[in-house]
Amino acid sequence: MTITASLVMASFTIPEQIGTTPLSLLWLLPLVAAIAIVYKATKLPEIKAASFIKEAVILFGSIVVFMFVTALILYAIAWLVLE
Amino acid sequence: MTEPRAKENHTVFLLTVGLLAWLIPGAGHLMIKEHKRALIISVTIILTFCAGLYAGSIGIINPVGAKPWYVAQIMNSPIVAALGHLAKTGDYYVFGKPNEIGQIYTSIAGLLNLLCIVNAVYLAHLCKTKTSGDHK
Repeated sequence: MTITASLVMASFTIPEQIGTTPLSLLWLLPLVAAIAIVYKATKLPEIKAASFIKEAVILFGSIVVFMFVTALILYAIAWLVLE
Repeated sequence: MTEPRAKENHTVFLLTVGLLAWLIPGAGHLMIKEHKRALIISVTIILTFCAGLYAGSIGIINPVGAKPWYVAQIMNSPIVAALGHLAKTGDYYVFGKPNEIGQIYTSIAGLLNLLCIVNAVYLAHLCKTKTSGDHK
């Protein structure tokens, strides 16, 4: 087995260092992108690059905005309860 | 006599599409000649699954300690069962945030593949119904 192949295999057997920090929330973005892309791939009657990208980006944006608004509301509720 | 045979063939065809879609993400759509859909689904689901494995290692596939996650993960492909068997040896420890992120990524990839399996079978059913309707 070559060194490159060994390194690739090793990266899947040792977990990454991910701290419980606000930055770790960015792991949300690739997952939302995957959900938007696959959902639109199953829902659009015909796959055309321009319309597909547009639809996927709109869905991605909607999910992110909705989650951001939900987080803000929860943060406000927590702030009100604790103050 | 021909109608039950046709119905039987149709069921076998749908089952084959569903099984292929489970074996390799996107293969079900490829079978019904939806090449673009197949490519998008295959690349996205495999990348999401690999991102989860990269974040948390194969230790996140835990058929004993994390059964509900495992049920969602196995929707990706039967290969997950082999990985689970490998991880069961207990040599791959993972805790905390990497475990959480890895499980979420791989399970969401599995559930997305389930959506694609259902979609492939539905499209296959529509294709077949349309074709037989055209012949009549």
